[in-house]
Amino acid sequence: MPRTTVAAMASGWRAAAPRWAVVGVVVAVVVALPAIVGALPVADSAVPAAELRATVLAADDVRYSGYAESAGGLALPVTRQLDSVADLFSDRTEMRVWWRGPDDHRVDVVTAAGETGIHRDARGTWTWEYERATATREAATPFALPAPPDLLPSTLGRRLLSEATDEELTRIGARRIAGRDALGLRVTPAEPASAVRQVDVWVDRASGLPLQVVVLGEASEVPALDTRFLDLDLSAPDAATTAFVPPPGAAVRTAEQAGIVLEAGRRLGPVRFPGTLAGLPRRTLEGAPPGIGLYGRGVTLLAVAPVPPRLADGLRRTLAQSPAAVTDDTSIRIAAGPVGLMLVDPQDARPFLLTGTVSLDALVEAAAQLPVLVRQR
Amino acid sequence: MIAVELRKLFRRPRTWATIAVLNALPVLVAVLLVWTDLAPRPGEGPPFLSAVLTNGALYPLAALAIVLPLFLPIAVAVVAGDSVAGEAQAGTLRYLLARPAGRTRLLVAKLVAVLAFVLVTVLVVAAVGYLVGTTLFDAQPGAATSVSGTSLTPEELAVRTVLAIGYVAVSMLGVAAFALFFSTTTDSPLGATMGALAVLVTSSLLFTLDAASPIAPYLPTRYWLAFVDLFRDPVLWRDITRGLALQAVYVGVLLAAAWANFTTKDVTS
Amino acid sequence: MSSVIATRGLAKQYGRLRAVDGIDLDVRAGDVYGFLGANGSGKTTTVRMLLGLVLPTRGEIDLLGERMPRAGRRVLPRVGALIEAPAAYGHLSGRENLALLDAAGPGGARRDRRRRVADVLEQVGLGGVGRRPVKAYSLGMRQRLGLAGALLRRPELLVLDEPTNGLDPQGISEIRELLLELHRGGTTIFLSSHLLAEVEQLCSRVGVLDRGRLVLQDDLATLTAPTGATVVRTPTPERVRATLDGRVAAVDGERVVVRGGDPAEVNALLVGAGIPVTGLAPERPTLEEVVLAAAATSADRVERAL
Repeated sequence: MPRTTVAAMASGWRAAAPRWAVVGVVVAVVVALPAIVGALPVADSAVPAAELRATVLAADDVRYSGYAESAGGLALPVTRQLDSVADLFSDRTEMRVWWRGPDDHRVDVVTAAGETGIHRDARGTWTWEYERATATREAATPFALPAPPDLLPSTLGRRLLSEATDEELTRIGARRIAGRDALGLRVTPAEPASAVRQVDVWVDRASGLPLQVVVLGEASEVPALDTRFLDLDLSAPDAATTAFVPPPGAAVRTAEQAGIVLEAGRRLGPVRFPGTLAGLPRRTLEGAPPGIGLYGRGVTLLAVAPVPPRLADGLRRTLAQSPAAVTDDTSIRIAAGPVGLMLVDPQDARPFLLTGTVSLDALVEAAAQLPVLVRQR
Repeated sequence: MIAVELRKLFRRPRTWATIAVLNALPVLVAVLLVWTDLAPRPGEGPPFLSAVLTNGALYPLAALAIVLPLFLPIAVAVVAGDSVAGEAQAGTLRYLLARPAGRTRLLVAKLVAVLAFVLVTVLVVAAVGYLVGTTLFDAQPGAATSVSGTSLTPEELAVRTVLAIGYVAVSMLGVAAFALFFSTTTDSPLGATMGALAVLVTSSLLFTLDAASPIAPYLPTRYWLAFVDLFRDPVLWRDITRGLALQAVYVGVLLAAAWANFTTKDVTS
Repeated sequence: MSSVIATRGLAKQYGRLRAVDGIDLDVRAGDVYGFLGANGSGKTTTVRMLLGLVLPTRGEIDLLGERMPRAGRRVLPRVGALIEAPAAYGHLSGRENLALLDAAGPGGARRDRRRRVADVLEQVGLGGVGRRPVKAYSLGMRQRLGLAGALLRRPELLVLDEPTNGLDPQGISEIRELLLELHRGGTTIFLSSHLLAEVEQLCSRVGVLDRGRLVLQDDLATLTAPTGATVVRTPTPERVRATLDGRVAAVDGERVVVRGGDPAEVNALLVGAGIPVTGLAPERPTLEEVVLAAAATSADRVERAL
């Protein structure tokens, strides 16, 4: 006999009802609290877009500490040597940051069971990996692979806004980020070749620091990259916090993370690149190896480089495994969100690679415009 | 009343058997670790386990991390699930209530007894972990390295370890509250325990699911591992405070529900 | 006489089932009240409502002059109870079980706890049981331990549900003696049972529950009062009928029921007629007859609703 349950319904419902009402009120308050806090009105301001951009670019001396989270939706098909870069764009990365300046900051990538701390000083970086108990020293180079600090909304937002023209900018209201009022600024790239539909940068009203950056690809409603502060403290962090001394018992190494790319570029030797590709002008980047051609501006970037045949074979095999890959006689190309990648392997010349935040059509166009880079296989 | 419940709990052989079983796993792991000298690869295995090879004084933390995901919550769910339903099943509940031990008082006493069990269990695991760690591994009480790569003084390490023990104990309160609530709704202790474990498994599963990320901050297991944050330098309080607040909310709501149910229900066991 | 248990329109409904249907119990101080009813008639539910374990759907309960379940904390320490089977923590000894139970509620002073536990164990015949855990007890020992728990605070009212369950005849008689002794000491006893004989031997007042309704409540003496007829035992019943023509109400073997409440008068007539009389007594209904007449059917039978 289901006595207990039936009894609970029938017996003293008069006595039970007020008590359950108390429970209901408690639950309602607890459930509603985050929604109420989230719905607090945010004061917008009538700052024009160009002025807001100027504020951001002027705010490069703001010191702060905080907690940021970046979520990437990009599955980059890259070789194992660049795994850490791929993870950066495809995973959720939790970062603690203490920022005293471009040459003095610390970014800890926090994981459940450990962390990887990147301590920047004037001459380079210390990278501390707790689970390997390893401290790695790397000298500063003008050209480096993307690292967690580049994903901070503050650095990424400023970088993306720095090359935007006023015509590309619009204001998009305000919202609350990390408990602060943030003003929205949207970059819509003007280049037809661009695979990025828009970049939304949310700027702290008080300090001009970008608090959130959302990159949307041409095809998808899911952000290719969404990075934001969850906590932000605008007081200057202690110098002792950003400094690093390898702890006793740790393995100390020296490494050049960018070595792979630099080495590859150096070995390739100088190549004569055309002035424009797919409508994007050539640009120079200090420290970049001469074997790599860079094109574009702002969020629309294209890189072209010859690749050693062996690397090309491996890359082709990796790309061919992806169902989204488009193959023809001499090339294979693929789009991962707004990032396009194309490997061209002509019969009579060395293979080369085109990649960037441009559409696949633009990649094909660029490949056709490239002179045969190096004769002779 | 509270003293009565504590006596009942700790005079029970099963309580100590549970604690003993709970300690078996970290001890086994420690022995295997010494035997094979194979540290878990980065990103795999419980926190602190690889660090233990160089400093055995960290083993209490590794031991807690080992039992935290499964063993500890199961033990808590068993004890808390048994608290009211076990009395109902044994028939002693009706005698207690006719004694009369007030229903609210009984519920509070049961909760306090479960709290005491959680605390004793966590302390025993940490103590056994310390003994095992310092005897089996090289202990360097003078030089502990924080997760962030800074050096911790022995005092700092001790304070943070105590805080971690406290945090792990608080983390278990949510499970205890679920089990206690289910325990007031049924006469079967097994049913109450299974109910709490079902909540636990659901929470752990949803936590790994991207689609569930909007509700992830409200999952009872969400901040369990945040005790690791105590060993970052500076301490990352963000998840710890959220974890404490979340457990407080779960305990508050479930206790209120348990009270509303238990004080108005017919005891027919 | 003051009222110890008084209920008015007490009812308990489980869904559509009326387990207890508006009963008015009246137990007075000094009573040994036999609460009779078949299994499933609502006895246990009523007992649980009296003790505040089950909350009534309707009606009022006054226990020792105070309203239940509101005044439970004041009233229940003055009540000892044995509710269905006894229950105890199997891994502890009987002594520890009683100490824990005593400490679990109000009204059990700590300083004389040890002495009271020892006394009460002696009283129920478990004085020499030692430190053996309860799980090693026999059913009868558990029953005695349960009774000891009920007696722990010298209650004014004992509510007992089937207290002799599991006891051997020797034990039943011991418990009966104990209850009678307690009663002589002024304890009111409310005894819920389905054993007619037990109630008949112990009780001064009887209530009969049938399918949730109190069909009978009266003093045992009134219920079993002489009916005004005389029962004659004789080897020659046909001669009785011939002699007392018209006065014979029933003949059953050697048992003849004769109208007329004075056995001496009947005896004189029969002896005068030379009829051998082996037994002679005023007719009294047995409790069984009274109960069967009041309670129509056994509640174990499930009949289709009309």
